[in-house]
Amino acid sequence: MAESGGESEFERARRAADERVLVDAAVRGSAAAFEKLYRSHVGKVYGLCLRMTANPTIAEDCAQEAFVQAWRSLPAFENRSSFGTWLHRIAVNAVLARGRRRQEILGSEMSAEESVAETLSDPSSPDPAAAIDLEQAIARLPPGARQALVLVGIYGYSHEETAAMLGIAVGTCKSQLHRARQLLGERLNAPEVTA
Amino acid sequence: MKPVGNDPVTRLDEALELLPRGIEPPRDLWPVIEARLERRPLRAPGRWPWLAAAAVLLVVGSSLITASLLRREPAATAQAPVARPEAAVTRAAFGPGQTLDPAYDVIRQQLADSLAARIDRLPPAARAKLEANLAELHRATAEINAALELSPGDPLLEELLINSYQDELAVLASVNQLTGPNGSAATNDEVSTRIPL
Repeated sequence: MAESGGESEFERARRAADERVLVDAAVRGSAAAFEKLYRSHVGKVYGLCLRMTANPTIAEDCAQEAFVQAWRSLPAFENRSSFGTWLHRIAVNAVLARGRRRQEILGSEMSAEESVAETLSDPSSPDPAAAIDLEQAIARLPPGARQALVLVGIYGYSHEETAAMLGIAVGTCKSQLHRARQLLGERLNAPEVTA
Repeated sequence: MKPVGNDPVTRLDEALELLPRGIEPPRDLWPVIEARLERRPLRAPGRWPWLAAAAVLLVVGSSLITASLLRREPAATAQAPVARPEAAVTRAAFGPGQTLDPAYDVIRQQLADSLAARIDRLPPAARAKLEANLAELHRATAEINAALELSPGDPLLEELLINSYQDELAVLASVNQLTGPNGSAATNDEVSTRIPL
């Protein structure tokens, strides 16, 4: 094993062990440990919610709900998956539940899209303008296509995992992703969107 | 943004991969979340298998590093004998009534042996600092365990104990960093800045 690779694996193992400690303490009722887990995971959870809802305000609500639900469900957490993956599933459920309760996330508004794009634009990106264009185009996608693209294309879940999280068939997930890619391709090539 | 490659789908996938996965919310959500957390009675833990799992990971990593060092620096083994560190040889506990995995102490001893081999390769000052840090952690752990005897299940004490175990992992990991990518020992300056605590 190369030293650099070994060192990296060692560090990863240490972080995983650290997280296990925190999860174990949180399972047993330690809010302090759960806050550390929150600090460690809130970025990805909020980013996931923001991209899925295309609405910063609703994304905040969903992220909060996800962590509250995670706290309630922690005693049943069995370490079969990583805590992060488990938390993401809860966040997706929070987004979907919110969508069922309110229609507001089913149609994104331009102001929300702009806000999302601004929030998500990474100043360290080699091409920030391109990233903003892409985020805006994602925010404009129909909800089903957007959610499939976010989970598969950005967060790297498989079609099977994504279909299970969204409660749809695998074939539907694939067709939604295909539709998302098609729409993105069209919109990113449109003159009014091109930077 | 236009797809820039020959295959637009591929280029699109590449652009998606470049997007940041995480984004911090515009405000801290924790206060609202914390206010909504129902307090539940602290559950008495049984065994702590994660300790054994963590120790196994460390032993594997430590052994590989030690083997690498021994292979790369045969001359270094001819140094004057040094005192064996007291690292990680004290029995681990988690307050009264807490059962640790029986394999944990065995693994812990293996870890101590592996750590000792690496510590011998460090400059004396680095070794001294590492040993002092580990001794301090063990002292703190013993004191917290003693306090837990008086206040079983105290959440603050349990958190402190968890932090101590995490700090120990951090110190052990620092040894890996200090030995460097080519197995060479760090300078005293590096030691002073890179060993936690």
